[in-house]
Amino acid sequence: MTETHDNPLEAYVRAALALQGYTFDDVEIAEIVMQFARLETIARTVFEWPLPFASEPAPVFRP
Amino acid sequence: MIGPAGDIAQQIAKGTRSAAAVLAECKALIEARDPDLNCFTAKTFERAEREAAAIDALYAEGKALPPLAGVPYAVKNLFDVEGLVTLAGAKINAGNAPAAADAKIVARMSRAGAILVGALNMEELAYGFLTENHHYGITRNPHDHTRGAGGSSGGSAAAVGAGMLPITLGSDTSGSIRVPASLCGVFGLKPTYGRLPRSGTYPFVNSFDHVGPFANSVLGLALAYDAMQGPDPTDPACAQRAVEPASASLSLPRGTRIGILGGWFHEWADPAARRSVQLAAAALGATEWTELKSAEVARAAAYIVTGAEGGALHRPRLLQQYEDFGPASRSRLVAGGLIPASWVSQAQRVRRHAYREAMDLFERFDLLIAAAAPAVAPRVGQETLLINGRSIPTKAGLGVLTQPISCIGLPVCTAPVWPGEGESPQERALPVGVQLISGPWREALCLAAARTLEQAGIAKLSAL
Repeated sequence: MTETHDNPLEAYVRAALALQGYTFDDVEIAEIVMQFARLETIARTVFEWPLPFASEPAPVFRP
Repeated sequence: MIGPAGDIAQQIAKGTRSAAAVLAECKALIEARDPDLNCFTAKTFERAEREAAAIDALYAEGKALPPLAGVPYAVKNLFDVEGLVTLAGAKINAGNAPAAADAKIVARMSRAGAILVGALNMEELAYGFLTENHHYGITRNPHDHTRGAGGSSGGSAAAVGAGMLPITLGSDTSGSIRVPASLCGVFGLKPTYGRLPRSGTYPFVNSFDHVGPFANSVLGLALAYDAMQGPDPTDPACAQRAVEPASASLSLPRGTRIGILGGWFHEWADPAARRSVQLAAAALGATEWTELKSAEVARAAAYIVTGAEGGALHRPRLLQQYEDFGPASRSRLVAGGLIPASWVSQAQRVRRHAYREAMDLFERFDLLIAAAAPAVAPRVGQETLLINGRSIPTKAGLGVLTQPISCIGLPVCTAPVWPGEGESPQERALPVGVQLISGPWREALCLAAARTLEQAGIAKLSAL
Protein backbone atom coordinates (compact mmCIF):
# COMPACT_ATOMS: atom_id res chain seq x y z
CA MET A 1 0.00 0.00 0.00
CA THR A 2 1.20 3.52 -0.76
CA GLU A 3 0.93 6.14 1.95
CA THR A 4 -2.60 7.42 1.65
CA HIS A 5 -1.51 11.06 1.78
CA ASP A 6 0.33 10.40 -1.51
CA ASN A 7 -2.73 8.85 -3.09
CA PRO A 8 -5.93 10.88 -2.74
CA LEU A 9 -7.98 8.17 -4.44
CA GLU A 10 -6.92 5.55 -1.91
CA ALA A 11 -7.45 8.02 0.91
CA TYR A 12 -10.96 8.66 -0.38
CA VAL A 13 -11.73 4.94 -0.64
CA ARG A 14 -10.48 4.26 2.89
CA ALA A 15 -12.50 7.16 4.30
CA ALA A 16 -15.65 6.26 2.37
CA LEU A 17 -15.40 2.62 3.43
CA ALA A 18 -15.12 3.68 7.05
CA LEU A 19 -18.07 6.04 6.66
CA GLN A 20 -20.20 3.23 5.27
CA GLY A 21 -19.22 0.81 8.01
CA TYR A 22 -16.99 -1.54 6.00
CA THR A 23 -13.91 -3.09 7.56
CA PHE A 24 -11.44 -4.79 5.22
CA ASP A 25 -7.82 -5.86 5.33
CA ASP A 26 -5.22 -4.20 3.12
CA VAL A 27 -5.48 -6.87 0.41
CA GLU A 28 -9.22 -6.34 0.05
CA ILE A 29 -8.83 -2.58 0.18
CA ALA A 30 -6.25 -2.74 -2.61
CA GLU A 31 -8.76 -4.63 -4.79
CA ILE A 32 -11.50 -2.09 -4.04
CA VAL A 33 -9.11 0.79 -4.77
CA MET A 34 -8.34 -0.80 -8.15
CA GLN A 35 -12.05 -1.10 -8.94
CA PHE A 36 -12.72 2.45 -7.81
CA ALA A 37 -9.83 3.72 -9.95
CA ARG A 38 -11.53 2.20 -13.01
CA LEU A 39 -14.75 3.98 -12.10
CA GLU A 40 -12.88 7.23 -11.58
CA THR A 41 -11.30 6.98 -15.03
CA ILE A 42 -14.71 6.46 -16.59
CA ALA A 43 -16.22 9.27 -14.52
CA ARG A 44 -13.71 11.66 -16.08
CA THR A 45 -15.34 11.02 -19.47
CA VAL A 46 -18.68 12.03 -17.97
CA PHE A 47 -17.32 15.25 -16.48
CA GLU A 48 -15.36 16.24 -19.58
CA TRP A 49 -18.49 16.12 -21.76
CA PRO A 50 -19.76 19.67 -22.37
CA LEU A 51 -23.32 20.06 -21.13
CA PRO A 52 -25.56 23.11 -21.13
CA PHE A 53 -25.83 24.50 -17.58
CA ALA A 54 -29.60 24.02 -17.57
CA SER A 55 -29.58 20.37 -18.66
CA GLU A 56 -31.57 18.25 -16.22
CA PRO A 57 -30.87 14.75 -14.94
CA ALA A 58 -32.72 11.91 -16.62
CA PRO A 59 -34.89 10.46 -13.83
CA VAL A 60 -37.98 12.46 -13.09
CA PHE A 61 -40.08 11.55 -10.08
CA ARG A 62 -43.76 11.43 -10.96
CA PRO A 63 -45.95 10.98 -7.91
CA MET B 1 -33.64 -29.07 -32.52
CA ILE B 2 -37.02 -27.87 -31.32
CA GLY B 3 -39.18 -25.97 -33.81
CA PRO B 4 -40.25 -22.33 -33.73
CA ALA B 5 -42.96 -21.25 -31.29
CA GLY B 6 -45.40 -20.27 -34.02
CA ASP B 7 -45.20 -23.73 -35.63
CA ILE B 8 -45.60 -25.50 -32.27
CA ALA B 9 -48.65 -23.44 -31.30
CA GLN B 10 -50.20 -24.01 -34.73
CA GLN B 11 -49.62 -27.80 -34.60
CA ILE B 12 -51.25 -27.98 -31.18
CA ALA B 13 -54.16 -25.79 -32.24
CA LYS B 14 -54.75 -28.04 -35.29
CA GLY B 15 -54.44 -31.20 -33.22
CA THR B 16 -51.51 -32.62 -35.20
CA ARG B 17 -49.45 -32.74 -31.98
CA SER B 18 -50.35 -32.64 -28.31
CA ALA B 19 -48.79 -30.31 -25.76
CA ALA B 20 -47.68 -33.43 -23.90
CA ALA B 21 -45.79 -34.69 -26.97
CA VAL B 22 -44.05 -31.34 -27.46
CA LEU B 23 -43.08 -31.31 -23.80
CA ALA B 24 -41.68 -34.83 -24.06
CA GLU B 25 -39.50 -33.79 -27.02
CA CYS B 26 -38.33 -30.70 -25.13
CA LYS B 27 -37.46 -32.69 -21.99
CA ALA B 28 -35.46 -35.19 -24.04
CA LEU B 29 -33.48 -32.37 -25.68
CA ILE B 30 -32.78 -30.78 -22.29
CA GLU B 31 -31.65 -34.06 -20.74
CA ALA B 32 -29.39 -34.77 -23.73
CA ARG B 33 -27.84 -31.33 -24.22
CA ASP B 34 -27.86 -29.44 -20.95
CA PRO B 35 -25.17 -31.49 -19.16
CA ASP B 36 -22.56 -30.14 -21.62
CA LEU B 37 -23.79 -26.54 -21.46
CA ASN B 38 -25.10 -25.92 -17.91
CA CYS B 39 -28.04 -23.72 -18.90
CA PHE B 40 -30.49 -24.88 -16.23
CA THR B 41 -30.29 -24.28 -12.48
CA ALA B 42 -33.76 -25.79 -11.85
CA LYS B 43 -36.21 -27.83 -13.89
CA THR B 44 -39.95 -27.48 -13.32
CA PHE B 45 -41.09 -30.58 -15.18
CA GLU B 46 -43.93 -31.39 -12.77
CA ARG B 47 -45.43 -27.96 -13.31
CA ALA B 48 -44.83 -28.33 -17.05
CA GLU B 49 -46.71 -31.64 -17.11
CA ARG B 50 -49.69 -29.97 -15.38
CA GLU B 51 -49.65 -26.99 -17.76
CA ALA B 52 -49.37 -29.23 -20.85
CA ALA B 53 -52.24 -31.41 -19.62
CA ALA B 54 -54.38 -28.30 -19.16
CA ILE B 55 -53.71 -27.24 -22.77
CA ASP B 56 -54.53 -30.71 -24.10
CA ALA B 57 -57.73 -30.68 -22.05
CA LEU B 58 -58.74 -27.34 -23.58
CA TYR B 59 -58.19 -28.80 -27.05
CA ALA B 60 -60.18 -31.94 -26.21
CA GLU B 61 -63.07 -29.74 -25.08
CA GLY B 62 -63.00 -27.89 -28.40
CA LYS B 63 -62.16 -24.57 -26.77
CA ALA B 64 -60.06 -21.83 -28.38
CA LEU B 65 -56.40 -22.08 -27.45
CA PRO B 66 -54.30 -19.09 -26.36
CA PRO B 67 -51.52 -17.85 -28.69
CA LEU B 68 -48.60 -19.72 -27.08
CA ALA B 69 -50.56 -22.86 -26.21
CA GLY B 70 -48.15 -25.69 -25.51
CA VAL B 71 -44.97 -23.75 -26.29
CA PRO B 72 -42.21 -24.66 -23.79
CA TYR B 73 -40.03 -21.92 -22.32
CA ALA B 74 -37.74 -21.21 -19.36
CA VAL B 75 -36.65 -18.10 -17.47
CA LYS B 76 -33.42 -16.55 -16.19
CA ASN B 77 -33.25 -17.37 -12.52
CA LEU B 78 -33.91 -13.81 -11.42
CA PHE B 79 -37.61 -14.16 -12.29
CA ASP B 80 -39.86 -15.30 -9.46
CA VAL B 81 -41.31 -18.74 -10.14
CA GLU B 82 -43.79 -19.94 -7.57
CA GLY B 83 -42.15 -22.58 -5.39
CA LEU B 84 -38.56 -21.85 -6.49
CA VAL B 85 -35.96 -19.73 -4.70
CA THR B 86 -35.13 -16.70 -6.87
CA LEU B 87 -31.36 -17.02 -7.01
CA ALA B 88 -30.31 -14.21 -9.37
CA GLY B 89 -27.17 -16.29 -9.75
CA ALA B 90 -26.10 -15.58 -6.18
CA LYS B 91 -25.23 -17.74 -3.19
CA ILE B 92 -26.51 -14.97 -0.92
CA ASN B 93 -30.03 -15.73 -2.15
CA ALA B 94 -29.87 -19.51 -1.89
CA GLY B 95 -31.29 -19.53 1.65
CA ASN B 96 -34.24 -17.28 0.83
CA ALA B 97 -37.81 -18.57 0.96
CA PRO B 98 -39.22 -19.84 -2.34
CA ALA B 99 -41.23 -17.32 -4.35
CA ALA B 100 -44.88 -17.22 -3.32
CA ALA B 101 -46.06 -16.29 -6.82
CA ASP B 102 -44.81 -15.99 -10.38
CA ALA B 103 -43.28 -12.76 -11.69
CA LYS B 104 -45.82 -10.68 -13.61
CA ILE B 105 -44.52 -11.62 -17.04
CA VAL B 106 -44.20 -15.30 -16.12
CA ALA B 107 -47.87 -15.19 -15.13
CA ARG B 108 -48.66 -13.54 -18.47
CA MET B 109 -46.75 -16.26 -20.36
CA SER B 110 -48.78 -18.88 -18.49
CA ARG B 111 -51.98 -17.05 -19.37
CA ALA B 112 -50.88 -17.20 -23.02
CA GLY B 113 -50.59 -20.98 -22.74
CA ALA B 114 -46.78 -21.32 -22.56
CA ILE B 115 -45.31 -24.22 -20.59
CA LEU B 116 -42.60 -23.39 -18.04
CA VAL B 117 -39.83 -26.01 -17.91
CA GLY B 118 -37.24 -24.38 -15.66
CA ALA B 119 -34.94 -21.61 -14.46
CA LEU B 120 -31.70 -20.68 -16.18
CA ASN B 121 -28.16 -19.80 -15.19
CA MET B 122 -26.87 -16.24 -15.24
CA GLU B 123 -23.97 -14.07 -14.13
CA GLU B 124 -24.07 -13.42 -10.39
CA LEU B 125 -26.57 -10.61 -9.67
CA ALA B 126 -26.59 -9.80 -13.42
CA TYR B 127 -23.33 -7.86 -13.03
CA GLY B 128 -21.26 -8.68 -16.13
CA PHE B 129 -21.45 -9.85 -19.72
CA LEU B 130 -20.28 -13.42 -19.08
CA THR B 131 -22.00 -16.37 -17.44
CA GLU B 132 -18.97 -17.73 -15.63
CA ASN B 133 -20.80 -18.02 -12.37
CA HIS B 134 -18.64 -18.64 -9.30
CA HIS B 135 -21.44 -20.52 -7.52
CA TYR B 136 -23.48 -22.21 -10.25
CA GLY B 137 -20.86 -22.85 -12.92
CA ILE B 138 -20.04 -21.73 -16.44
CA THR B 139 -22.69 -21.73 -19.17
CA ARG B 140 -20.95 -22.73 -22.36
CA ASN B 141 -21.53 -21.61 -25.90
CA PRO B 142 -23.64 -24.10 -27.87
CA HIS B 143 -21.51 -23.57 -30.99
CA ASP B 144 -18.12 -24.07 -29.30
CA HIS B 145 -17.97 -25.49 -25.80
CA THR B 146 -14.56 -23.92 -25.16
CA ARG B 147 -16.24 -20.52 -25.36
CA GLY B 148 -18.73 -18.71 -23.16
CA ALA B 149 -22.39 -18.00 -23.79
CA GLY B 150 -22.07 -14.33 -22.82
CA GLY B 151 -24.23 -12.81 -20.15
CA SER B 152 -25.66 -11.97 -17.93
CA SER B 153 -28.60 -13.97 -19.42
CA GLY B 154 -26.24 -16.68 -20.67
CA GLY B 155 -28.43 -19.67 -19.82
CA SER B 156 -31.38 -18.08 -21.62
CA ALA B 157 -29.44 -17.53 -24.86
CA ALA B 158 -27.59 -20.84 -24.84
CA ALA B 159 -30.77 -22.88 -24.22
CA VAL B 160 -32.33 -21.41 -27.39
CA GLY B 161 -29.07 -21.57 -29.38
CA ALA B 162 -28.67 -25.25 -28.47
CA GLY B 163 -32.14 -26.04 -29.81
CA MET B 164 -33.58 -27.01 -26.41
CA LEU B 165 -36.27 -24.31 -26.30
CA PRO B 166 -38.04 -22.01 -28.76
CA ILE B 167 -38.41 -19.16 -26.23
CA THR B 168 -36.70 -18.06 -23.01
CA LEU B 169 -36.88 -14.90 -20.92
CA GLY B 170 -34.00 -12.75 -19.71
CA SER B 171 -33.16 -9.30 -18.47
CA ASP B 172 -31.01 -6.53 -19.92
CA THR B 173 -29.54 -3.73 -17.82
CA SER B 174 -26.64 -2.86 -20.13
CA GLY B 175 -26.73 -5.56 -22.79
CA SER B 176 -27.57 -8.77 -20.93
CA ILE B 177 -30.08 -9.90 -23.57
CA ARG B 178 -28.27 -8.53 -26.61
CA VAL B 179 -24.72 -9.73 -25.85
CA PRO B 180 -25.57 -13.39 -25.16
CA ALA B 181 -28.04 -13.38 -28.08
CA SER B 182 -25.18 -12.20 -30.28
CA LEU B 183 -22.70 -14.76 -28.97
CA CYS B 184 -25.11 -17.72 -29.06
CA GLY B 185 -26.69 -16.85 -32.42
CA VAL B 186 -30.33 -16.32 -31.41
CA PHE B 187 -32.94 -13.58 -31.65
CA GLY B 188 -33.43 -11.31 -28.63
CA LEU B 189 -35.62 -8.33 -27.84
CA LYS B 190 -34.80 -5.59 -25.37
CA PRO B 191 -37.97 -3.50 -25.43
CA THR B 192 -38.23 0.19 -24.62
CA TYR B 193 -37.42 0.93 -20.98
CA GLY B 194 -40.72 0.62 -19.13
CA ARG B 195 -42.53 -1.41 -21.78
CA LEU B 196 -42.61 -4.74 -19.92
CA PRO B 197 -43.25 -4.97 -16.18
CA ARG B 198 -40.40 -6.10 -13.93
CA SER B 199 -42.61 -6.97 -10.96
CA GLY B 200 -41.42 -10.16 -9.34
CA THR B 201 -37.91 -9.96 -10.79
CA TYR B 202 -34.73 -9.53 -8.77
CA PRO B 203 -33.46 -5.99 -9.43
CA PHE B 204 -29.96 -4.83 -10.29
CA VAL B 205 -30.08 -1.21 -11.51
CA ASN B 206 -33.60 0.17 -11.39
CA SER B 207 -32.70 3.03 -13.75
CA PHE B 208 -31.78 0.59 -16.54
CA ASP B 209 -33.37 -2.79 -15.82
CA HIS B 210 -35.38 -4.19 -18.73
CA VAL B 211 -36.88 -7.65 -19.27
CA GLY B 212 -37.48 -9.37 -22.60
CA PRO B 213 -37.53 -12.59 -24.64
CA PHE B 214 -35.08 -14.70 -26.63
CA ALA B 215 -36.37 -16.94 -29.43
CA ASN B 216 -35.38 -19.14 -32.35
CA SER B 217 -37.62 -17.16 -34.74
CA VAL B 218 -38.82 -13.58 -35.06
CA LEU B 219 -42.45 -14.65 -34.90
CA GLY B 220 -41.77 -16.49 -31.65
CA LEU B 221 -40.05 -13.42 -30.26
CA ALA B 222 -43.02 -11.25 -31.24
CA LEU B 223 -45.59 -13.70 -29.84
CA ALA B 224 -43.80 -13.75 -26.48
CA TYR B 225 -43.43 -9.97 -26.49
CA ASP B 226 -47.14 -9.51 -27.22
CA ALA B 227 -48.09 -11.95 -24.47
CA MET B 228 -46.06 -10.00 -21.89
CA GLN B 229 -47.18 -6.45 -22.73
CA GLY B 230 -49.59 -4.34 -20.74
CA PRO B 231 -49.61 -1.90 -17.85
CA ASP B 232 -48.65 -2.92 -14.34
CA PRO B 233 -49.06 -0.37 -11.56
CA THR B 234 -46.85 -2.42 -9.22
CA ASP B 235 -43.73 -1.58 -11.29
CA PRO B 236 -43.16 2.19 -10.94
CA ALA B 237 -41.09 2.26 -14.14
CA CYS B 238 -43.67 0.40 -16.22
CA ALA B 239 -45.36 2.69 -18.73
CA GLN B 240 -49.10 2.51 -18.37
CA ARG B 241 -49.60 1.84 -22.07
CA ALA B 242 -52.12 -0.41 -23.71
CA VAL B 243 -50.90 -3.52 -25.51
CA GLU B 244 -49.56 -2.69 -28.98
CA PRO B 245 -49.40 -6.08 -30.73
CA ALA B 246 -46.44 -6.66 -33.03
CA SER B 247 -46.82 -10.28 -34.10
CA ALA B 248 -49.79 -9.79 -36.44
CA SER B 249 -47.77 -7.72 -38.91
CA LEU B 250 -44.02 -8.20 -39.18
CA SER B 251 -43.59 -6.44 -42.52
CA LEU B 252 -41.12 -3.60 -42.76
CA PRO B 253 -43.04 -0.54 -44.01
CA ARG B 254 -42.02 0.66 -47.45
CA GLY B 255 -39.75 3.68 -47.20
CA THR B 256 -38.34 2.84 -43.77
CA ARG B 257 -35.27 5.04 -43.36
CA ILE B 258 -32.36 2.97 -42.07
CA GLY B 259 -28.98 4.29 -40.97
CA ILE B 260 -25.75 2.47 -40.10
CA LEU B 261 -24.13 3.60 -36.87
CA GLY B 262 -20.49 4.57 -37.37
CA GLY B 263 -18.14 6.33 -34.97
CA TRP B 264 -17.99 4.51 -31.62
CA PHE B 265 -19.99 1.57 -32.99
CA HIS B 266 -17.59 1.04 -35.91
CA GLU B 267 -14.41 1.65 -33.89
CA TRP B 268 -15.35 -1.02 -31.34
CA ALA B 269 -16.47 -3.62 -33.88
CA ASP B 270 -13.83 -6.10 -35.06
CA PRO B 271 -13.81 -7.38 -38.68
CA ALA B 272 -16.35 -10.12 -37.92
CA ALA B 273 -18.74 -7.67 -36.22
CA ARG B 274 -18.31 -5.20 -39.07
CA ARG B 275 -19.07 -7.94 -41.59
CA SER B 276 -22.31 -8.78 -39.74
CA VAL B 277 -23.35 -5.14 -39.94
CA GLN B 278 -22.44 -5.04 -43.62
CA LEU B 279 -24.53 -8.13 -44.38
CA ALA B 280 -27.52 -6.81 -42.47
CA ALA B 281 -27.28 -3.35 -44.01
CA ALA B 282 -27.14 -4.79 -47.52
CA ALA B 283 -30.18 -6.99 -46.91
CA LEU B 284 -32.12 -4.01 -45.53
CA GLY B 285 -31.00 -1.69 -48.32
CA ALA B 286 -29.23 0.66 -45.90
CA THR B 287 -26.34 2.66 -47.28
CA GLU B 288 -26.15 5.85 -45.21
CA TRP B 289 -23.77 6.02 -42.25
CA THR B 290 -24.50 8.19 -39.26
CA GLU B 291 -23.20 8.74 -35.75
CA LEU B 292 -24.43 8.95 -32.17
CA LYS B 293 -21.72 11.28 -30.93
CA SER B 294 -22.57 10.81 -27.28
CA ALA B 295 -22.24 7.01 -27.41
CA GLU B 296 -18.97 6.90 -25.48
CA VAL B 297 -20.15 9.26 -22.77
CA ALA B 298 -23.53 7.50 -22.56
CA ARG B 299 -21.68 4.25 -21.91
CA ALA B 300 -19.62 5.98 -19.23
CA ALA B 301 -22.77 7.42 -17.66
CA ALA B 302 -24.35 3.97 -17.60
CA TYR B 303 -21.24 2.58 -15.95
CA ILE B 304 -21.36 5.16 -13.16
CA VAL B 305 -25.09 4.84 -12.48
CA THR B 306 -24.81 1.05 -12.57
CA GLY B 307 -21.98 1.06 -10.05
CA ALA B 308 -23.74 3.44 -7.71
CA GLU B 309 -27.18 1.80 -7.78
CA GLY B 310 -25.81 -1.75 -7.66
CA GLY B 311 -23.47 -0.90 -4.79
CA ALA B 312 -26.20 0.81 -2.79
CA LEU B 313 -28.68 -2.01 -3.40
CA HIS B 314 -26.36 -4.72 -2.10
CA ARG B 315 -24.62 -2.76 0.68
CA PRO B 316 -26.53 -4.35 3.58
CA ARG B 317 -25.49 -7.85 2.57
CA LEU B 318 -22.00 -6.82 1.49
CA LEU B 319 -21.56 -5.61 5.08
CA GLN B 320 -22.80 -8.92 6.50
CA GLN B 321 -21.84 -11.58 3.94
CA TYR B 322 -18.95 -10.25 1.85
CA GLU B 323 -17.34 -13.69 1.55
CA ASP B 324 -20.57 -15.18 0.15
CA PHE B 325 -20.40 -12.93 -2.94
CA GLY B 326 -18.29 -14.16 -5.84
CA PRO B 327 -14.79 -12.69 -6.10
CA ALA B 328 -15.58 -11.10 -9.46
CA SER B 329 -18.58 -9.22 -8.04
CA ARG B 330 -17.93 -8.15 -4.48
CA SER B 331 -15.11 -5.63 -4.81
CA ARG B 332 -16.82 -4.02 -7.82
CA LEU B 333 -20.07 -3.70 -5.89
CA VAL B 334 -18.37 -2.18 -2.85
CA ALA B 335 -16.42 0.25 -5.05
CA GLY B 336 -19.64 1.26 -6.79
CA GLY B 337 -21.25 2.03 -3.46
CA LEU B 338 -18.54 4.62 -2.80
CA ILE B 339 -19.30 6.70 -5.92
CA PRO B 340 -19.94 10.34 -4.98
CA ALA B 341 -23.40 11.78 -5.61
CA SER B 342 -21.95 14.44 -7.93
CA TRP B 343 -20.79 11.73 -10.37
CA VAL B 344 -24.22 10.15 -10.43
CA SER B 345 -25.98 13.47 -10.91
CA GLN B 346 -23.68 14.37 -13.79
CA ALA B 347 -24.16 10.91 -15.33
CA GLN B 348 -27.92 11.36 -15.24
CA ARG B 349 -27.59 14.76 -16.94
CA VAL B 350 -25.43 13.16 -19.64
CA ARG B 351 -28.06 10.48 -20.05
CA ARG B 352 -30.76 13.04 -20.79
CA HIS B 353 -28.42 14.78 -23.25
CA ALA B 354 -27.63 11.52 -25.08
CA TYR B 355 -31.33 10.72 -25.29
CA ARG B 356 -32.02 14.09 -26.93
CA GLU B 357 -29.23 13.53 -29.45
CA ALA B 358 -30.74 10.14 -30.31
CA MET B 359 -34.17 11.73 -30.77
CA ASP B 360 -32.63 14.19 -33.24
CA LEU B 361 -31.19 11.21 -35.11
CA PHE B 362 -34.65 9.64 -35.30
CA GLU B 363 -35.85 12.74 -37.18
CA ARG B 364 -33.69 11.45 -40.06
CA PHE B 365 -33.91 7.69 -39.55
CA ASP B 366 -36.51 5.20 -38.39
CA LEU B 367 -34.04 2.44 -37.62
CA LEU B 368 -30.34 2.21 -36.84
CA ILE B 369 -28.00 -0.77 -37.26
CA ALA B 370 -24.96 -1.62 -35.15
CA ALA B 371 -23.19 -4.78 -34.06
CA ALA B 372 -24.46 -6.28 -30.80
CA ALA B 373 -21.03 -7.38 -29.59
CA PRO B 374 -17.55 -6.27 -30.58
CA ALA B 375 -16.47 -9.78 -31.59
CA VAL B 376 -17.43 -13.45 -31.58
CA ALA B 377 -17.74 -15.33 -28.27
CA PRO B 378 -14.51 -15.23 -26.23
CA ARG B 379 -12.95 -18.37 -24.81
CA VAL B 380 -13.99 -19.31 -21.28
CA GLY B 381 -11.69 -17.50 -18.87
CA GLN B 382 -10.37 -15.09 -21.51
CA GLU B 383 -9.42 -11.94 -19.59
CA THR B 384 -9.25 -9.40 -22.42
CA LEU B 385 -10.63 -8.74 -25.89
CA LEU B 386 -8.44 -7.28 -28.59
CA ILE B 387 -10.58 -5.06 -30.81
CA ASN B 388 -8.84 -3.38 -33.73
CA GLY B 389 -5.56 -3.26 -31.81
CA ARG B 390 -7.09 -2.04 -28.55
CA SER B 391 -7.37 -4.23 -25.48
CA ILE B 392 -10.43 -4.14 -23.22
CA PRO B 393 -11.41 -6.34 -20.23
CA THR B 394 -13.77 -9.07 -21.47
CA LYS B 395 -16.26 -8.93 -18.62
CA ALA B 396 -17.08 -5.27 -19.18
CA GLY B 397 -15.95 -4.89 -22.79
CA LEU B 398 -18.47 -7.23 -24.35
CA GLY B 399 -21.11 -4.59 -23.62
CA VAL B 400 -19.27 -1.71 -25.23
CA LEU B 401 -21.81 -1.51 -28.09
CA THR B 402 -24.97 -2.23 -26.12
CA GLN B 403 -24.50 -0.06 -23.05
CA PRO B 404 -24.94 3.32 -24.81
CA ILE B 405 -28.33 2.19 -26.13
CA SER B 406 -29.84 0.78 -22.93
CA CYS B 407 -28.59 3.87 -21.10
CA ILE B 408 -31.24 5.79 -23.05
CA GLY B 409 -33.86 3.04 -23.05
CA LEU B 410 -34.34 2.52 -26.79
CA PRO B 411 -35.94 -0.69 -28.12
CA VAL B 412 -33.56 -3.11 -29.83
CA CYS B 413 -34.02 -6.42 -31.58
CA THR B 414 -30.86 -8.49 -31.88
CA ALA B 415 -30.69 -10.71 -34.95
CA PRO B 416 -28.20 -13.57 -35.34
CA VAL B 417 -25.83 -13.08 -38.28
CA TRP B 418 -22.98 -15.41 -39.31
CA PRO B 419 -20.18 -13.29 -40.74
CA GLY B 420 -17.77 -16.12 -41.61
CA GLU B 421 -14.81 -13.95 -40.54
CA GLY B 422 -12.00 -14.92 -38.19
CA GLU B 423 -8.50 -16.26 -37.87
CA SER B 424 -9.50 -19.90 -37.40
CA PRO B 425 -12.20 -22.20 -38.82
CA GLN B 426 -13.74 -22.28 -35.31
CA GLU B 427 -14.03 -18.48 -35.23
CA ARG B 428 -15.41 -18.37 -38.75
CA ALA B 429 -18.24 -20.67 -37.64
CA LEU B 430 -19.42 -18.30 -34.89
CA PRO B 431 -22.11 -15.59 -34.99
CA VAL B 432 -22.05 -11.90 -34.23
CA GLY B 433 -25.53 -10.44 -33.88
CA VAL B 434 -26.70 -7.05 -35.07
CA GLN B 435 -28.72 -4.53 -33.09
CA LEU B 436 -31.78 -3.16 -34.89
CA ILE B 437 -32.52 0.00 -32.91
CA SER B 438 -35.51 2.28 -33.14
CA GLY B 439 -37.13 5.17 -31.30
CA PRO B 440 -39.10 4.66 -28.07
CA TRP B 441 -42.14 2.36 -28.31
CA ARG B 442 -41.30 1.25 -31.86
CA GLU B 443 -40.49 -2.39 -31.04
CA ALA B 444 -42.67 -3.47 -33.95
CA LEU B 445 -40.28 -1.80 -36.38
CA CYS B 446 -37.24 -3.52 -34.82
CA LEU B 447 -39.02 -6.86 -35.09
CA ALA B 448 -40.07 -6.20 -38.68
CA ALA B 449 -36.46 -5.45 -39.64
CA ALA B 450 -35.36 -8.69 -37.97
CA ARG B 451 -38.08 -10.55 -39.86
CA THR B 452 -36.79 -9.07 -43.14
CA LEU B 453 -33.29 -10.36 -42.32
CA GLU B 454 -34.75 -13.75 -41.39
CA GLN B 455 -36.68 -14.00 -44.66
CA ALA B 456 -33.55 -13.02 -46.58
CA GLY B 457 -31.64 -15.86 -44.90
CA ILE B 458 -29.18 -13.40 -43.31
CA ALA B 459 -30.45 -13.86 -39.74
CA LYS B 460 -30.96 -17.45 -38.71
CA LEU B 461 -30.18 -20.09 -36.15
CA SER B 462 -27.59 -22.72 -36.81
CA ALA B 463 -28.97 -26.26 -36.56
CA LEU B 464 -27.25 -28.32 -33.86
